[in-house]
Amino acid sequence: MELPELAARWMHALTSTAYIPLSHAEIEQALLDSLRELRESPESVAHRLVSLHATGPDSLHATIEVLSPTFELPVLARLSSAYAQAMRMDAFDQQEQIKVAIVRAKQRVERTLKVSQARFQEVFASAALGIVITDLTGRCVEANDTLAEIVGLGSGFDLTNRDLRDFYHPEDLAALGSSYRKLSEGHLERFRDQRKLIRADGEPVWVHLVVSVLRDADGRPTHHVTMVEDISELHLLQRNLDHQLLHDSLTGLSNRQHFISQVERQLDGKPITLYHLGLDAFSVVNNGLGHETGDKLLKIVANRLGRLAAEKKAVLARIGGDEFALMTVADNVTSTVEEIQDALNEPTFVDDHGIALSASIGVVDRPPAFATAAELMRCANAALRQAKARGKRQWALHDPHDDARRRGKYALAASMPGAWEHGEIEIVYAPVHDLETREVLGAVARLHWDDLSHNDTMALADSTGLSLPIGRWLLREACAQAARWVEEFGDGAPTLHVALGALQSRDEDLVADVKRALDETGLPPERLRIALDISSVLAGDDNALVLHDSGIVTALDGFRGGHDELAVLTEVPVRSVITRAPAPSPDSPLHQAMRALIATVHGFGVRFGVDEVHTLTDAEHWRQAGADGVIGLLPALSAAEVTELLTTVASPPPGAS
Amino acid sequence: MAERVNWVPEGIDTGRPSAARLYDYLLGGGHNFAADRALAEKFLQAQPNARAIARLNRAFLRRAVLFMIDSGIRQFLDLGSGIPTVGNVHEIAQKADPEAHVVYVDFEEVAVAHSQLILEHDPRATIIQEDMTRPEAVLQAARHSGLIDFSQPVGVLTAGVFHFVPPQADPNAIVAAYRDAVPSGSYLAVSQFTHDLQPEEMAGIVEVMKKSQNPMYPRTRSEIEALFAGFELVEPGIVPTPLWRPELTNTDDPDKAGIYAAVGKKL
Repeated sequence: MELPELAARWMHALTSTAYIPLSHAEIEQALLDSLRELRESPESVAHRLVSLHATGPDSLHATIEVLSPTFELPVLARLSSAYAQAMRMDAFDQQEQIKVAIVRAKQRVERTLKVSQARFQEVFASAALGIVITDLTGRCVEANDTLAEIVGLGSGFDLTNRDLRDFYHPEDLAALGSSYRKLSEGHLERFRDQRKLIRADGEPVWVHLVVSVLRDADGRPTHHVTMVEDISELHLLQRNLDHQLLHDSLTGLSNRQHFISQVERQLDGKPITLYHLGLDAFSVVNNGLGHETGDKLLKIVANRLGRLAAEKKAVLARIGGDEFALMTVADNVTSTVEEIQDALNEPTFVDDHGIALSASIGVVDRPPAFATAAELMRCANAALRQAKARGKRQWALHDPHDDARRRGKYALAASMPGAWEHGEIEIVYAPVHDLETREVLGAVARLHWDDLSHNDTMALADSTGLSLPIGRWLLREACAQAARWVEEFGDGAPTLHVALGALQSRDEDLVADVKRALDETGLPPERLRIALDISSVLAGDDNALVLHDSGIVTALDGFRGGHDELAVLTEVPVRSVITRAPAPSPDSPLHQAMRALIATVHGFGVRFGVDEVHTLTDAEHWRQAGADGVIGLLPALSAAEVTELLTTVASPPPGAS
Repeated sequence: MAERVNWVPEGIDTGRPSAARLYDYLLGGGHNFAADRALAEKFLQAQPNARAIARLNRAFLRRAVLFMIDSGIRQFLDLGSGIPTVGNVHEIAQKADPEAHVVYVDFEEVAVAHSQLILEHDPRATIIQEDMTRPEAVLQAARHSGLIDFSQPVGVLTAGVFHFVPPQADPNAIVAAYRDAVPSGSYLAVSQFTHDLQPEEMAGIVEVMKKSQNPMYPRTRSEIEALFAGFELVEPGIVPTPLWRPELTNTDDPDKAGIYAAVGKKL
């Protein structure tokens, strides 16, 4: 056989016994070269075969099979022997190689271990946390200097072989012991806790503990690692923060939140009395003398009340700008109120200003045990508002019934804006009768909402801030309606009376609003009577005057006959006053007084009207007393009903006959 | 079973067979220990053709590298390269073009140490010790090596690797991460055990490997096809190793090759 053909056969035989990472052509060339030198040097051929990686278990066998017909036995024997030797050396080489690889791998592992040990040592030594490794009996094996510092020792070595439990607070030993046990028994992986350690000098130190367990290669727990964070500074800071959260920074007294929590705590115990103090006219001090003076004053008040509270073992707080609260074990309310006023009453000088101090006080005495602190605070506040309404230096006891009424009203007030928006509030017209002629003088435009009277509705509107928009709406709508009646019925149309709420009466824009309503609706000014709430005039508001100067007739509503009111009548040009009062029956002593009052009013050139007169008898009594007109004899009618009435009765309604 | 070879330094557990050393043994290499050889014997009982399978797989790797070289690829990322054995990628590639760059990736300590030994004096090849199923870490290290320019096409090699990746590791997502890191025109080579060929023997292999450090997960042709999402398979597609672009007429029985091979080009 020609050598190239033999080489090709050899190549095919060999490549199925071993992977030779060369192209077939390359392998064939290498084998052809081998065939040519085989006889002279079977050893080098053997080496080439091994270096070609023709080293499969069947490679030699395949080689002998291919070559034996061409080559003699001695040559093949030398080849086989040299091949075996080359394989042996190759195996040694490879084993040597992998040994080196393994040594390197191990060195790297060791290096990594060393590095990680060094890292651990560094972390251990420089950590801001105290770290201690203890055996399962609690004996310290290794501790860092930080821990030593926390417990007041020189260095970590001082802890070695000490029992860590010596540093725990005796009270904590049982609980901590059980936690450590749970770790070593495998119930827990780690636990955290906040405890007190006892320093070497006996001082306690607050710490956070994080404890975990170390296990040996078989997973058995061998040691505990306890990390200790000194939180005493944090602890102080936290307490400081708590104090700031619970105390008023100006006076140092408890704040509202703290006070409420103290009330809550007390509620289950002895009955209490709650005093809610509002300094009278404090805003005058603040605005007039400046906030700094105001602050000084508040501190003085806090001091004086503080002394009183200390005497009475009461809890005192500043719960608002100029409001304080005092909680005592239920006591004699009257005398405590006196003591409070006396304490405040001492002459007070701030920055050379002599300031008279007094407080209005709302009192909740012996509330039922089921009341909540928040509820009590609200009740005390309500009582304070009542006391304030009565003037300075007043006090009021919380009245649960009054409170319920007030709350009903608030609920109603809350629903008012929606009701108005939905057209549930309508305008009705109540006739004004002349008591002498019994004729209808005009119609009072009034709000009607559910069962509420005009005045109640207005008062509610006042409390919701709706009174101005509703009042303007009422004014304009009523003027428009009155203008239509004038157009349709001429002189037969009723004169329009509009009674304004307290706020609207004082509104700066009132005169402009009235003029605009007249301009836009075309109602002649002489057809309109504006009734202002008398409080606005008493407060010095000049709307009545300006309206008068604008040619609009005004009345004052809510007249009660006081001196101040009478005085106003001498100054303000009004056509009439309107009052609400029980009818003075001729046989009552009041009758004479009322007659005299009405005569006085008449003396000022002012007519006297009475609202809410519902019976002819009452109307007659008023007539006898001298009153000029009454409202309420006939029920108020809707605009449509009035129109219908005006149409059917060509003349004004028959009046009170 | 831990017959400790006396020349092996302490601290390396030669009692635990490794798939890389098993492969080396089947290829006729000497970089293996008793435990590896014991496992190989069991492997051979389950699949008597195991030596040929190993040889054919290694030969496929060579042809795939040379095919990529012919297609212009000059940088290779060999994932799960194992211990250096006969016909390493850098040897094949650099024989064709000495400028070719190769980055090997393996996780096993000894394989990495061995590779470092071999590559000590080769500035164009290196090994990264990283788990190839964590593409982000591998890619970061590959970039850091400075040997692979990810703006140029890369040959990504996974020869006999994915059958060690369990389905829950989401092989498709792993491939996708490498795919997304290389530019279009890059290549992916995959060879992996399948139960489409000789299902009985394959089941035997799975059973044998179940108890080893490297359990095996053979895949069907369509599962392997799914790995090539975003790649276009080059001719002849997914075939038993000996049928993938054989050098001469193939003389091995493709039905006993155990492993499917394929190369795709990134679109």
